[in-house]
Amino acid sequence: MTSQAVPYPRSVAAVPYRRTVQNVAIAAAAVLLLVWTVFPFFWILLTSLKSPGDMLSVPPKFVFTPTIDNYAALVIGEQRGQYSSTRPDFPLFFLNSMIISLGAVALSVLAGIPAAYALARFTFPMKNGLAFILMSFRFVPFIAFVIPLYILYQRVGLYNTHAGLIFAYQLITLPFTIWMLRSFFMEIPLEIQEAAKIDGCSWFGVLAKVILPLSMPGIAVTVILGFMFCWNAFNYPLMLAGRQTFPVTVGAIQFISYEQVLWGQMAAATIVAALPQLVLSLMVQKYIVRGLTMGAVK
Amino acid sequence: MSTTRTRHWRREKFLPYLLLAPALVLLAGMIYPFALGLYYSFTSYWLQYPNRFRFVWLDNYVNLMEEPLFVRALEFTLGFTLAAVVIQVGLGLGVALFLHGRVPGRSVLRALMLLPLMIPPVITALMWKIMMASTNAGILNYMLSFIGIDPVNWFGSINGAIASVLIIDTWGNLPFVALILLGGLQALPTEPYEAARVDGAGPVDILRYVTLPLLSPFIVLVVLFRTMDSLRIFDVIYATTAGGPNDATTNLHIMAYQYSFQWYQMGKGMAQAIVLLLLVVVVSYLLMRLWNRASESTS
Repeated sequence: MTSQAVPYPRSVAAVPYRRTVQNVAIAAAAVLLLVWTVFPFFWILLTSLKSPGDMLSVPPKFVFTPTIDNYAALVIGEQRGQYSSTRPDFPLFFLNSMIISLGAVALSVLAGIPAAYALARFTFPMKNGLAFILMSFRFVPFIAFVIPLYILYQRVGLYNTHAGLIFAYQLITLPFTIWMLRSFFMEIPLEIQEAAKIDGCSWFGVLAKVILPLSMPGIAVTVILGFMFCWNAFNYPLMLAGRQTFPVTVGAIQFISYEQVLWGQMAAATIVAALPQLVLSLMVQKYIVRGLTMGAVK
Repeated sequence: MSTTRTRHWRREKFLPYLLLAPALVLLAGMIYPFALGLYYSFTSYWLQYPNRFRFVWLDNYVNLMEEPLFVRALEFTLGFTLAAVVIQVGLGLGVALFLHGRVPGRSVLRALMLLPLMIPPVITALMWKIMMASTNAGILNYMLSFIGIDPVNWFGSINGAIASVLIIDTWGNLPFVALILLGGLQALPTEPYEAARVDGAGPVDILRYVTLPLLSPFIVLVVLFRTMDSLRIFDVIYATTAGGPNDATTNLHIMAYQYSFQWYQMGKGMAQAIVLLLLVVVVSYLLMRLWNRASESTS
């Protein structure tokens, strides 16, 4: 409308007008993307700070007196007000997540470093087949392993133990660790390795003095991402863990029962369960895409 | 000097296997339970009735075909996968193209998009479960009321349940698609663009004839990963609809879980798990072939 009212030739007047429209549209789209991405976190944080009365108010409240009762209920197991918590064990769940994730990653890295070295720097029969089998574990439906593992664990006493879960988590971390480390090891120029060999280094010397020091950042990234994938795991512990070994992911759904859902405490639990992931993902943000595709996309 | 070097090389013949040994032991430890499970899928293993344990050959598989729930679960698995992949790759491509342009706060947006991607999927599901509460206290229904949409019974109605699972899965995985495609866009060569511009091609032509063909290996890769993960989606459904209402959101993974861990029919549950596994293998094989073709044609 405005462009028609201006006495200049159309093309001259239309350019700044069109540019403004374009800028507004881009800004609107950016805001939309931002809200879509961040609003759920914002809302759950608000919910976790609400008292049961504010939680159920219609319309939903954006302004209210915040309370830390829900977090206190997670830690010490009691809450003032209408609801009482029956879940005093969330700190234990957090500790379980730590133990299982760190244990699983440590085992995978110990077994994965020599394996990745072999796949990156040696040629041998069946090499590609083996690498492919490892990759295919990324896509296996969990249930196909959980059913027999559950039966086996019941028999040998690994059910509801950290060790049993650490072993089951190898399905998540071992193929990932080997593929990631292999892709980092392959980035080290072959000339450095050959020079070390000429200087009399054995295969172990090459690994310990050349490959490992040069790929330290890669190993660190692999450890952090492997830890995060373990932290996210839900399916294995749901069926192989019991109350003493539940990680935070299984712990968080315990707030849903047949009688009621403890919304506030569940919100607080999701915040606590997500927090390490939020911090770690910003730390390794450059490598996340690479990690999620097992090194396929750099 | 030279003798140590030749001995060194001779030993390298066995060395790779030695290096792989710890990983292979762990791998064998995973394959053994799987083989055991495969055997159970041919038996009538029912945890509560160990006396009824018999080898029943293909009965579990044959009976599945006659089970109405199995057919519906298979349909939902395939339908959900198709919908999720189309929606997420379509929107993800849009977001990637958008962030590839000149956008204020682009790097902040990129970093923030990692957050939905990296938190546990079951936590994502619980967050949305809080927002999708079907009472009027649910923030999503409240917000939708401003654009004239009546309150949706998210987890209680069939359409609402299917939509909620799709929305939650998309929130968690849209960043995966967008970030990979954005990385692909930024790695594209600039020459074809200059050539197209010299030829007078408009933005739509450039997208259609230059960007999309060059980006196709990345698109196929994203489709591959998203398809595989959608076929076996479990956490989000388990924590929100648990397969309901009326089994409307029961996929093969949820069904196998119900048979084995709610009714303890391990043999039947394992047969369903194997069917799901075969489905994943067949689809991934087809997509891998497509990926090889796509990366060959561009390089």
